[in-house]
Amino acid sequence: MTDQKPLLEARQVFKGFFGNPVLKGVDIALRPGRVHALLGENGAGKSTLINLLSGALQPDSGTIAVDGKPVGRFSPAAARAAGIAVVQQELSLTADLSIAENIGLGAFPRRFGLIDYAELHRGVREVCAMVGLTEPLDMPVADLALGRRQMVEIAKALYRRPRVLILDEPTSSLSAHEAGILADVIEALRDRGTALLYISHRLNEVQALCSHVTVLKDGGVTADQSLSGIDGEGLVRLMVGRETGDLFPPRAAANPGVLRIGVEGFSAGLVRDITFSGRAGEIIGIGGLVGQGQEDLLLGLYGAIPAKAVKAEVSGKPGLPADVGAANAAGLVYVPADRKHEGLVLPHSIASNLILPSLGRLARNGFRDRAAETGLIAELAKRLTIKGDVARPVQALSGGNQQKVALAKWLPLDPSVLLLNDPTRGVDIETKREIYLMLRGFATEGRLVIIASSDTPELVHLCDRVVVLREGAVAAELSGGAISEEAIVGAAMGVDRKGAAA
Amino acid sequence: MSAVSSSGWLYGAIQRRRNRGLGGLYLVVAAFLILYAVLFPGILSVGGFSKFTQNWFPLALVTMAQALLMLNGGITLAIGPLVSLGAVIAATTMDGMFGVPGGILAVALTGLAIGTVIGAIVAHLRLPAIIVTLAGSFIITGVALILLPRPGGFIPDWLSNTLAGHTPVAFLLLVVVLLLWKAFLATPLGLGIYAAGDNPVGAFRSGVPVERAKIAAFALSGLLTALAGLFVAAQTGSGDPVIGAPFTLNSIAAAVLGGVGFLGGKGTMRGAICGSLLLSVMINVMFFLGFPPVAQYVAQGLIIVGAVAVPELLKSWRARR
Repeated sequence: MTDQKPLLEARQVFKGFFGNPVLKGVDIALRPGRVHALLGENGAGKSTLINLLSGALQPDSGTIAVDGKPVGRFSPAAARAAGIAVVQQELSLTADLSIAENIGLGAFPRRFGLIDYAELHRGVREVCAMVGLTEPLDMPVADLALGRRQMVEIAKALYRRPRVLILDEPTSSLSAHEAGILADVIEALRDRGTALLYISHRLNEVQALCSHVTVLKDGGVTADQSLSGIDGEGLVRLMVGRETGDLFPPRAAANPGVLRIGVEGFSAGLVRDITFSGRAGEIIGIGGLVGQGQEDLLLGLYGAIPAKAVKAEVSGKPGLPADVGAANAAGLVYVPADRKHEGLVLPHSIASNLILPSLGRLARNGFRDRAAETGLIAELAKRLTIKGDVARPVQALSGGNQQKVALAKWLPLDPSVLLLNDPTRGVDIETKREIYLMLRGFATEGRLVIIASSDTPELVHLCDRVVVLREGAVAAELSGGAISEEAIVGAAMGVDRKGAAA
Repeated sequence: MSAVSSSGWLYGAIQRRRNRGLGGLYLVVAAFLILYAVLFPGILSVGGFSKFTQNWFPLALVTMAQALLMLNGGITLAIGPLVSLGAVIAATTMDGMFGVPGGILAVALTGLAIGTVIGAIVAHLRLPAIIVTLAGSFIITGVALILLPRPGGFIPDWLSNTLAGHTPVAFLLLVVVLLLWKAFLATPLGLGIYAAGDNPVGAFRSGVPVERAKIAAFALSGLLTALAGLFVAAQTGSGDPVIGAPFTLNSIAAAVLGGVGFLGGKGTMRGAICGSLLLSVMINVMFFLGFPPVAQYVAQGLIIVGAVAVPELLKSWRARR
């Protein structure tokens, strides 16, 4: 069966955003009657590859081929005409339109230029029966729960009678029952000769449904092989493993000091009832798949979102900080992941960004003290190895140097706890190294550094302890030699590992 | 409940659903109309009804023009100037060689062309609609003043008498416009305007021509606005290069009163029409009750803020219970 001609292929495709390469020469071939799994960690380039295959993006170089023939400018409309349908992870639905209109959107049957509602009704009824949607078809999508909307999204893809169906994390918001229905649909389509591409973080689903796998890592293909004879751990092994070189500073002998943060029964946002503690001099990593509560944990500790705990101690005082002001007063600072929107005032100069949190402290008699400010700026710039004129606007800096400014502006407050949300996202490797050195330096000075990260090697090689979150709960707490990429990825994906320190 | 999922008339069911959430608005509009009829029973005669609907008609058209763009996630500040320009062009072309049909055609083409150009700039250069239409409003005002520096021009009496006389022609025209809108909304492009307003990325990935939908929305909006200007010219019997000014903000106010959201994809045209009727009735009532103009503006503002705030307060109140 696999010697059949591929229906849809990407050949040596490259794609970058703003000079940041995401895909570096990727090949993939989707053949009829086969469910093909696409695996990779967060940021490996899966979504970009799907967008290229479905015409939503154009490759910088390389070709997309349908039925073996390269296509020129590929658009979503052209992809649909070629029989390619995508179940998006971010739903493509319009809230105020009905289920039926959403399913038909972009592919409406027409009669005299108008939408043929009778014909639409017939087709929609058929696909809704396939996926078990029993809601009235005139109901606005806004009235449906997230899982049901996902089923509408799936029905929408099926309505297009695809020859190639791409499913991007289709089960992330589905109940077990709904996921079972989807599995049946996938198998029926496969037996009918449809080519399927299946993206999921649930490895048991991948094993049950798929017969072939492509693994992406850092924008390259690291495996393209049959799935027969590979178990869960084998899959995890395919996804990790790379050279780390001397990117990371040596880990100091573990010598934790006083308790800075200790919470029991802590809940905030997605985080439910967890126990967590950190001591001075530690770097603690928070790992897990995207959106498992990592950010909520940091924001909850920082007093930025409502949080509660059965028992809590922060900087020697009982109780959680009530708001951000109280957290700052207790020596906590937070550096957001979205530095462009939350962390920095982009059009302003490096200098004014650096002194922003210190403005009040540096004032004399209610006026700004320019001399003290200039001294502080010079000192920070030196410590951060920010080169050149500090009067330049921050937006002129590279992503990595912007991140250094977002970090450094807090140092004059002498924080005892740094909460960092994905500080090295989109940062080049050299600056990453500098940031790691800085963080290790902070820990050596006796600060507690808590870092949420989607970058597994960073968790393994930088952190003294790693807490892996899954669905808002602690899936694993690893320390010392037990920290490995396999252990983290395995815990994040819910693979049962024998013999792991969990 | 599940009758529709297996059989039945899908289009009708979807249309009925669109009334949902508008019940309160319908009630308020009905209450105001009854109050109006009690205060001014003249509305119940053919002549009175005609006059009433003539006052409402141009506001209804520009509200549709505004709502069309707001549903698509845009907005226009060029409504008033374009009404003026429509009036000016009508008043300066109808004594020409092609007469009234030529004048109507000139107004319609001007509206379509200006809308298309603005839409193309917004869609292809990805500039914010509010800025582009603000700039457009200055340019259009200037052109109207160049064409006709002071009120004047020529509108044949028979046209004024037909459109703004003692017969409900304006009301019938509004019904025709609404039927045409229904037909447009039943085309893929019409629904595409909605979808592109609510979730542009999703609509694009679904194969909706998002940019074309946006340009179409601006073009239709321009057409409706310019025709409103033609009607205003017929009503006053002449062209006035600044007569449209109040329509810009009134069109936004009416659309918001009718439950059309600012962020795109939220709301219905029937709601917007009700909003324009409500605003028109309120302006009439305050005028006839002898409110000073300044008080009218203040009252109008308060009512609009209330109209937006009340549903939100109700929602949070329900959520807390």
